[in-house]
Amino acid sequence: MNFSLLLPEWIALGTLLILIFREILNGPKSRNSSGIAILLTGTALLLLSLFFLRNSPGSAFGGTFVLDSFAVFFKIFFSLAAFVVLVSSRFFFRPLGGEKTAEFFLILWCALLGMLFLVSANDFLILFIALEIMTLSFYILTAYQKGNLASIEAGVKYLILGSLASAFIIYGIGLLYVVAGSTHFDSIQAAFAAQPGHKLLLLSALLILSGLCFKVAAVPFQLWAPDVYEGAPVPVVAFLSVGSKAAGFALLIRLIFTVFTPFDHERKILFPVLAAMTIIYGNLGAVVQKNIKRLLGFSSIAHTGYLLIGLAAARDSGLAALLYYLLTYALANLAIFFVLSLTANELKSDQIDAFRGLAERSPFLAASLFIALLSLAGVPPLAGFVGKFLILSAAIRDHLMWLALIGILAIPISLYYYLGVIRSMYLEEPVHTASITVPGSAKLILGLLITGILLAGFFQSPVFRIVENALQHF
Amino acid sequence: MIPIGHVLIVSGILFSIGLAGLLIRRNILLILLSIELMMNAANLLLIAGSALHGEADGQITAFFVMVIAAVEVTVGLAVAVLLFRTRQTVDTYDIKWLKG
Repeated sequence: MNFSLLLPEWIALGTLLILIFREILNGPKSRNSSGIAILLTGTALLLLSLFFLRNSPGSAFGGTFVLDSFAVFFKIFFSLAAFVVLVSSRFFFRPLGGEKTAEFFLILWCALLGMLFLVSANDFLILFIALEIMTLSFYILTAYQKGNLASIEAGVKYLILGSLASAFIIYGIGLLYVVAGSTHFDSIQAAFAAQPGHKLLLLSALLILSGLCFKVAAVPFQLWAPDVYEGAPVPVVAFLSVGSKAAGFALLIRLIFTVFTPFDHERKILFPVLAAMTIIYGNLGAVVQKNIKRLLGFSSIAHTGYLLIGLAAARDSGLAALLYYLLTYALANLAIFFVLSLTANELKSDQIDAFRGLAERSPFLAASLFIALLSLAGVPPLAGFVGKFLILSAAIRDHLMWLALIGILAIPISLYYYLGVIRSMYLEEPVHTASITVPGSAKLILGLLITGILLAGFFQSPVFRIVENALQHF
Repeated sequence: MIPIGHVLIVSGILFSIGLAGLLIRRNILLILLSIELMMNAANLLLIAGSALHGEADGQITAFFVMVIAAVEVTVGLAVAVLLFRTRQTVDTYDIKWLKG
């Protein structure tokens, strides 16, 4: 038994326990500043432990928990995303005052713990428990603003549809168990290989995949995304759009390319169709939106479509392109939601109209939003372009011309709605002229994110090496 | 021993009743109940599989699923109470604030 492999999880769990006991002992009077200090220390230790573990693959708990370079890649990804979200939620909640933020951080950290376990799962029981830790935390976070009707409604919708997806997944696991007699990935893969045409196995694979497609908001399981994105607090949407989606894709990759490998033929029929529907739905839905969070909800559906192309294409080029795209998407989305959480309390509205003249009120925030939105749209020197280029060329290399064509035709549509926000910021007259002050730490983190977007656009090979390194076991 | 085919049919029926209830019912409490039913259909499968293969891990998994289902309902009821406090309703037809 190798307990040191779980070092990041131990650290995350320890941080969680410290937070819980601090909250119990101090009661509602507890000051938030020391809470964030504990969390930031926790994140730093987490990253440090991952750095030491990066070259020592292995498994624990009888092979149900694996730590390979793929898992380490995603754990670093989640920790960094959680760090940015923690800082941004600090700026989001500070002016609101009335909300208790200590519990918010605690539940956010719980979601991170779930994600850390999720990417290491090598057994369907661990997978389900970790997935539920993550999703249940997100239900609570979505409905966190108790006084805000939109937040509660988003919470109810996410809870009902999310539980439905969980029920699908666990029913699929139950069917797998009846046929294979184990929940371990390796024995289930052996069962699939032995009886590839077994109806119950096909049904269970379909149920589990549809549950995961819900998590990444792929059409036809996307209905929750726009409502939840509109209603939930901004930092939660940031973590949902980056963390939850990445976790869903990590699981999809692991399942499709290890457990469900006997269904490679079905994969090549199913995923191109899903990807095409998702790209079309997301981009067309976003065109008419007036609310920026709802627009980003549809845009995240569209990006799920591009990421699904990575699963539809051949394994070698597709997976590398998928991870690259995920990185660029995460950088841009984190930057956008960071700006939104800084402006939310000043503008007091999520409507795109409220962003009129932001360039005059805060040139820095407007410029950051400008670069991040253009990167999402895939404008050349930026990171998003490289991601889209890799994804589309993977599709073309796998003779999915029609899919690549849909992906290319959707880019001008996405430019239209992203440029709508940019036009509002730069070309229209502001409603209020008071300038928005940006704290120094916010400037630093936002600056780093924007630098990341620019660097990942100009220098592809270092990022590509990270991605290749993550995929070396596949 | 009960043949596995029978268990599959019963659990399939339970799952379908749960799914139908979730789609038809408009009261959040009944929707939560339907979700519970779907999870219990999965539990039935896990326990039947455990008996079929003579291994205990299916039953252990079922315990974990029960715990998770309980947590799910707890969170669901908390959100339903929150909704009732602000809108005095738990009918899903009345929650149509977010759309577009």
